[in-house]
Amino acid sequence: MFDELSLNLLDIGMNSLAAGASVLRIVVIESHRRDWLILQVRDNGCGMDDATLQRILAENSSTKANRKKSIGLGLALLRQTSEMCGGTFHVRSTPGKGTTVTASMRLTHIDRPPLGDLTATIETLAASPTVDVQLHYRNDNQTFHFHSQEAKHHEPSRTPKTKRKSAEASRAA
Amino acid sequence: MNLAELQKLKEKAQKQVALREGNKKYRVVVSMGTSGIAAGARDVMKTMLDEIEKRGLADVEVRVTGEIGLEDVEPVIRVERADGEQTTYARLDAEKARKIVAEHLAHDTPVENLAVGKEKKP
Repeated sequence: MFDELSLNLLDIGMNSLAAGASVLRIVVIESHRRDWLILQVRDNGCGMDDATLQRILAENSSTKANRKKSIGLGLALLRQTSEMCGGTFHVRSTPGKGTTVTASMRLTHIDRPPLGDLTATIETLAASPTVDVQLHYRNDNQTFHFHSQEAKHHEPSRTPKTKRKSAEASRAA
Repeated sequence: MNLAELQKLKEKAQKQVALREGNKKYRVVVSMGTSGIAAGARDVMKTMLDEIEKRGLADVEVRVTGEIGLEDVEPVIRVERADGEQTTYARLDAEKARKIVAEHLAHDTPVENLAVGKEKKP
């Protein structure tokens, strides 16, 4: 187990890089009022089909022989922490579209690891020039947004197509 | 959660994007798989980035990769020189990382006692 949740975020984020993501968005919501900590890693990488996803979630492990394809251990670590801290864990993935990993936990749960050095995690992931690393942080009082690349040729996969087209049109014009 | 630090990173990242163009003399690849992270690879990475910036080494780029097959001696980095020489360093920590920046990256002198492998690729 990692002693900082930001290390879990780095670990999950590395999966996104391996999946060829051009946009990697990390969302951290820390609400003392509601006693929730929500962590989300969303990418527009190659994604997984249902069978692959079910397999890695069920097996919770990666063997050396198929390490390149199986990414179970890192997910299992985060799932274990979430569930131990009164929260939930979900992975949604669509082949060709991307993957979203969402974990929640009780902020005041005694076993909850600290968030730790989120800056170092973002800095490490943002060292890859091909990916726009984004951080969206929110707590009860303030929000913070970080984008590693100002020039955004790749919109997040959730952007409606019409919007993307008009953006392209305005660039072309 | 330290927002001031993140704000600084934001400003730094904008500068770094501008520095990314062109071929560098050195490329440092940090093994950042699950086992590397657990062994402290992020600290090694951060120390190297800070030290490279502090020394103003413009001819060095730092990248991350997944597991590279040396899980039992993590944290592991590979220093690749533009002419094909590759040096692999293992069992690193922040202090050793600083030494590698100071000697290998800044003065072209590989740190022999920390290296676990060296090869030359054409």
